Amino acid sequence: MMAILSINDVTKVYEGKVTHRAINQLNFEVERGEFVAIMGPSGSGKTTLLNMISTVDRPTAGEVLVDGVNPQDLSKNELAYFRRRQLGFIFQDFNLLQTLNVEENIVLPLTLDGMKVEEMQKRVSEIAAHLDLESILQRLPNEISGGQAQKTAIGRALIHKPSLILADEPTGNLDSNSSKDVLELLGKINKRDQTTIVMVTHDPIAASYCDRVLFIKDGEFFNEIYRDDQRQTFFQRILNVLSLLGGHVGDFSSVRLS
Amino acid sequence: MTFRQFAYRNVIRNQRIYAAYFMASVCSVMVFFIYSMLMYHPKVENEFMIEIAFRGMYFAQIVLVLFMLFFLFYSMRAFLEARSKEFGILIHLGMERQQLNKLVRIETTIIGVASIIVGILFGFAFSKFFFMVIREILQISALPLYFSWKPFALTIATFLTLFIVVSYLSVWTIKDGELVHLLRGTDVAPKKKSYSKVSGIAGLLILACTYFTMVNIEKSNLLWLAIVVPPVMMIGTYLFFTDSVVMIIMWLRKSKWLYWRKYRLISWSEYATMVKENAKMFFISSLVSTLAFMAIGTLSSMSTFTHQYHQINPVSIIYTSKYQNSYEDAHIDQLTRELQEANLSYQLTALDIRTQTSANSSQKIEIIDEQQFNQMVRTLKLPTVQLGKGEAIFLPYSEDSYAKRKNMQIATVLEENHVPITIRGAYKTAIFSAEQLGTNVIILNTADFKKIIYNVPGSYESNYVNRVYAFNVGNWTETQYIGKELDQLMTNTYASNMESQLPFYYENTGIDYEILRSTFALILFIGILASAVFFLAAGSFIYFKLYATLPREQQQYTTLRQMGVTDREIRQLVNRQLIPQFFLPWGVAVLNSCFAFIGLQVFWYGVADISIFKTIVIMLGILTTVQLLYFYLIRWRYLAHLR
Repeated sequence: MMAILSINDVTKVYEGKVTHRAINQLNFEVERGEFVAIMGPSGSGKTTLLNMISTVDRPTAGEVLVDGVNPQDLSKNELAYFRRRQLGFIFQDFNLLQTLNVEENIVLPLTLDGMKVEEMQKRVSEIAAHLDLESILQRLPNEISGGQAQKTAIGRALIHKPSLILADEPTGNLDSNSSKDVLELLGKINKRDQTTIVMVTHDPIAASYCDRVLFIKDGEFFNEIYRDDQRQTFFQRILNVLSLLGGHVGDFSSVRLS
Repeated sequence: MTFRQFAYRNVIRNQRIYAAYFMASVCSVMVFFIYSMLMYHPKVENEFMIEIAFRGMYFAQIVLVLFMLFFLFYSMRAFLEARSKEFGILIHLGMERQQLNKLVRIETTIIGVASIIVGILFGFAFSKFFFMVIREILQISALPLYFSWKPFALTIATFLTLFIVVSYLSVWTIKDGELVHLLRGTDVAPKKKSYSKVSGIAGLLILACTYFTMVNIEKSNLLWLAIVVPPVMMIGTYLFFTDSVVMIIMWLRKSKWLYWRKYRLISWSEYATMVKENAKMFFISSLVSTLAFMAIGTLSSMSTFTHQYHQINPVSIIYTSKYQNSYEDAHIDQLTRELQEANLSYQLTALDIRTQTSANSSQKIEIIDEQQFNQMVRTLKLPTVQLGKGEAIFLPYSEDSYAKRKNMQIATVLEENHVPITIRGAYKTAIFSAEQLGTNVIILNTADFKKIIYNVPGSYESNYVNRVYAFNVGNWTETQYIGKELDQLMTNTYASNMESQLPFYYENTGIDYEILRSTFALILFIGILASAVFFLAAGSFIYFKLYATLPREQQQYTTLRQMGVTDREIRQLVNRQLIPQFFLPWGVAVLNSCFAFIGLQVFWYGVADISIFKTIVIMLGILTTVQLLYFYLIRWRYLAHLR
């Protein structure tokens, strides 16, 4: 199998009053059709990593290859077109356009690309059926629930059939039922269409829906585990890694202030 | 840190946020102050020209204050709305509502006092320049800079009151809702766009009707239409912004072939929300701009008017003496003396007038001697007439009467003296109005004129015109001080409807022109001021609105950028978002005033044969350019904020 995403020796340094190394010599690959979760504590560099994959940020050193293309070689406009055609995004707070209704939000990537209306309508009805959004297509984002909003965002991320979907804490703003719906939906899409999904998350439950979980800490690779047959045991193993990831043993012992 | 210090630091350390509001206030103060400087100018106060304009200036200033109250209140509210998150935090930390009000009041007072001081300083610095501009526009003698406490006192008192009123008014508008909503700030999702189909269609229909009426306006119905049309147009414009625009957009959105095209998807959906939210502001904007356009347009056609005015009134000063007049010599003496004292060169022609009855129509005819007439037209640089024995020619009183009589040929006998004459055609230029010499005037060859010895019976009792004095003054626009007493007398007798009993008639083109001009000057003042304040208000208002929704927009544009929208496309999107805000009210105003001008054109035809079309086009062009510059300025700032 060919890697759709490869991260080779990527380092990201933020220059500023205080120089901060967000990612340090990170290496990993994601195969086509994989559903990968990236986990790590706050400040571990997850979002920085996602920004680099989504080409809105550039690595200081090393390279990110998406489907064999190095976004750094592309011009600004080509980059935008690349994102528009190759990538799909799902955000924690949905980022739906408030003035557009559900249907319009879903077709947005296609209209930006100037597709024919018939084709757009065909795809919208397909996706709406698939995501169970048919009854709310004409509603505005503030008239639907969080779960429905995230499903709309998923629809928007899928409609242009991207080669890679990037999800940033997709369940961070959802209640447990909606979370479950959304994650099962992502899993289903992944299995059915062989869509590659990279998801950044805090939540071990969310991570347990994936094929593989990658842990990073302070910008460096920490561990990775693969899913087995049972989601329950996979979840347990994720928790085990997380407890190791949690911090230093010394964190708790010191009472002194200096 | 005392409470007052807190408020003070809030203002000082948030300069960037307060800057827009501060600038808007400073400009308002400055405009008002310069205007007061002009109003209290010793020369303006004393001089004749402003007689009417002066009273109007008070009126204009009241309008200005009202408009500024509205504008300051509106920008204050937009400004407070943008800060609702900050207020949420303060309330969250346990600030009382009372204290919050006090905070806002102290802040407003600080900004208010600062902008009054800065505004007056700038105003004083620029007033000399402004006086020069005014002098050029109004063609009055130099206005020296002066110093008086009056404009200062007026400005300070007015704006202190304004700011206090605004600060009390605006604290009411801080939403007293749930704390959560305050904390969430402006990030409130837009409401569902609701509109009434009836009002939407009514708005379009009303506008179409008024436009149609304006195109088909006629002299006969001009007056009552001038009263009826403007309010109707206002209602139409209001409905247009509240309902019609939203209706049209919704209707367009039904067609996916039109709507699902690139950025239209984003921008059209935003238009509906934006127009609905800002309908009232758009309405007022377009109303004020229409007014400003009208004023400036009318005035800019004045230059054409000056020239034309002279053509319609070729004689600068006309004195008509009737049979009973015992003051004739005294008046003419006085006029010539005044002209000499004013150092104005003039040519005086006296015309003897005979009144006879025409045997043909048994109507009265006023007769002018050919020789005397030629003498007069030579001074006016108009063609002379050559008449043989028994010949006469009509002297028309207007263009219409010339058209009617130029091909007329009448053979008649002057009854009282049995002189047979033939009147053939008409003289090309109307020199005397019907009021001055009647509607039936002919020029008769000198030989026949001398045969008129017997007057119409009852000449003395019925007060027929005996002699006309025509003064031709080179600098006719400067004659406004000549014969002021006579003019006053004329005005008074007109007012009491006794003009037929006065033994003379006096008309000074210079005075009439001056009155017309100062009336226009007044309109221009109001126009310039209104448009200056309007430019300020509309621009700042858009800026405040943008500022208030900036976080939401930033997030939206980040999302779009991530989805693969290029920077160029984002700039286009911003264009599409900003252009209607700037140019929708503007476009409606241009349309409204264009049609109003078409109506006005008819009025101008009534007064003088002037085409104001060209000047109007130039004027609209200039104003549109200014608006475009303003648009680019705001867009530049906005794009900088978005990055």
